[in-house]
Amino acid sequence: MVQINFAQRRVNCKIVYYGPGRSGKTTNLEKIHENAPGNTTGELVSIATETDRTLYFDFLPLELGKVGGMETKFSLYTVPGQVFYAKTRRLVLQGTDGVVFVADSNPAMMKENLESVEDLVKNLRENGLDIKEIPIVFQWNKRDLAETVPVEEMNAQLNRWNAPSCKSIAIHNEGVFDALKLVAGLVIRKLNREFGRAPAGAQKSAPAQTPPPAPRTAAAPRAQTPPPAPPVAPAASPKPTTAARRRATPPPAPQPTAARPRTAGPQAQVPGTGTTRRPAPAARAPAPPPPPLPPPPPPIEMTEPDSAATPPPARRARRSATQMIQARKEELVSTRPPAPSGPSAAPVGTETERTRPRQVRVRSRGGFPTKVVLISVFVTLGIVALTLAFLVVLKLIPSPL
Amino acid sequence: MAEDFSAKMKRARLVFYAEDVGRIDTILEDFLSASQAKAALLVDKEGHMVTKKGMTKALDSTGLAALVAASFASTREVAKLLGETEFSVLFHQGSSESIHVSLVADRALVVIIFDDRTTIGMVRLHAGQLTKKINAVLEEAAKRKPSEGEKLDGSFEADFEEKMDALFPGSPDSASSNSAGESPAPPAGT
Repeated sequence: MVQINFAQRRVNCKIVYYGPGRSGKTTNLEKIHENAPGNTTGELVSIATETDRTLYFDFLPLELGKVGGMETKFSLYTVPGQVFYAKTRRLVLQGTDGVVFVADSNPAMMKENLESVEDLVKNLRENGLDIKEIPIVFQWNKRDLAETVPVEEMNAQLNRWNAPSCKSIAIHNEGVFDALKLVAGLVIRKLNREFGRAPAGAQKSAPAQTPPPAPRTAAAPRAQTPPPAPPVAPAASPKPTTAARRRATPPPAPQPTAARPRTAGPQAQVPGTGTTRRPAPAARAPAPPPPPLPPPPPPIEMTEPDSAATPPPARRARRSATQMIQARKEELVSTRPPAPSGPSAAPVGTETERTRPRQVRVRSRGGFPTKVVLISVFVTLGIVALTLAFLVVLKLIPSPL
Repeated sequence: MAEDFSAKMKRARLVFYAEDVGRIDTILEDFLSASQAKAALLVDKEGHMVTKKGMTKALDSTGLAALVAASFASTREVAKLLGETEFSVLFHQGSSESIHVSLVADRALVVIIFDDRTTIGMVRLHAGQLTKKINAVLEEAAKRKPSEGEKLDGSFEADFEEKMDALFPGSPDSASSNSAGESPAPPAGT
């Protein structure tokens, strides 16, 4: 559905070309792409098979420039016409604002035309759209065939809703722009009813989400007439054969001269990347300053922590506790490590800083190392014991036993 | 009630006003600076682009919006075949550039293009917050009624018809009933 962007002054509409297989839907877009004046069209994107049958859709953006102060753009799509692409057609129809039904005027294709119309009704319904309310134009294509179904009969059988219609020979670029103008006009009229400014002095309620259905007869006068000869552009560029092709934009159309010859012969491959004629429109009006947003949360660091960086204090404390536990374990089971060999090794019998087993150091008050104190105590006790024993032996003192 | 609103959002027309787009632009810019992605676009499900931020000058954003929307629609059908409602996130990885598409408010798609300056994990991490913020903006926009000032100009329809006549001269009304196209000719090629 139409997207209206008042901030950037843009209106975007979607039009879908529908119809049975090989009725001329893709040809319509090709002719619009080749013959639209100036820089109104962008790249024509076609997702098609190797044999140039539309596989998913063709897409062509058509920018009309400023209309009523709004940059107006139409996105033109085609659907794959073959029967087994029914689901794909439903997807492409999603959110469409207008439909051009391209019917094949060949009498042998009348059954396919009828099935395609029923398919369109069903797919629109599944997308929440009603064919009676959506802008639709019927294009009776291939009017140059040797045998064609009369327009009145085609209208009677296919156009049950009395929608506008026009004749066409899309391959000759006849009637292509007429159908486009008809459907675009209907879309814009409907949009204006919903979002247009009320005339002076008239009260208008707030626009509803679903606009009122447009009376079909109001658009009927612009119908049922054959198309005039449109301006002729240079010969069509050959169609590429890749599965997904992007066509470069052709040069602007020259003055109309003679009738265009049919495209024939081998088809060359267009370079993979096309060029967009017109960049996306910039914001036309300066946007007011947005309301202040809460400060964003600090970005979460996803990178690995730098090993050279100083670890946070909490981690340092845990390591030191672990280290202390480990040191106490080592003290309980400590053994003198073997003396390192080599010229850098210290002399045998000495303890170096690296070889000394870890011990929990207990500082004495006098500042003497514990070992020395203990040794002194044991030596003293030993001396005393020996002295007493000597005296007992000499019978100088009585035996304590 | 949440389901009713979701269904309403799916059907609702997206009308964007200056404050909506301003807020969305700010959200996208914050996302790009946090995630180091190349570009971020907001596209509606019909393939119309709403706004874009980042390195988009060399990007055909119009075509990208249409193709991404179509791709999302087709994968939604695949999801239904698998018993899912839809896939809310799509990710396509290329040799140097990748694209991450996520659904917002059942109505729009956030398209994130990134290269090897960042990682998919970083993009996904910030994309979750991004979609929530844009979701809030879109829900507000859907609930808001348009103000009297924000309407199409009264001359919109007339300007349109003039523009179309100027760009594509000739109309069905001016053509005669006996068209040259009715004369017998060799069958058309297509």
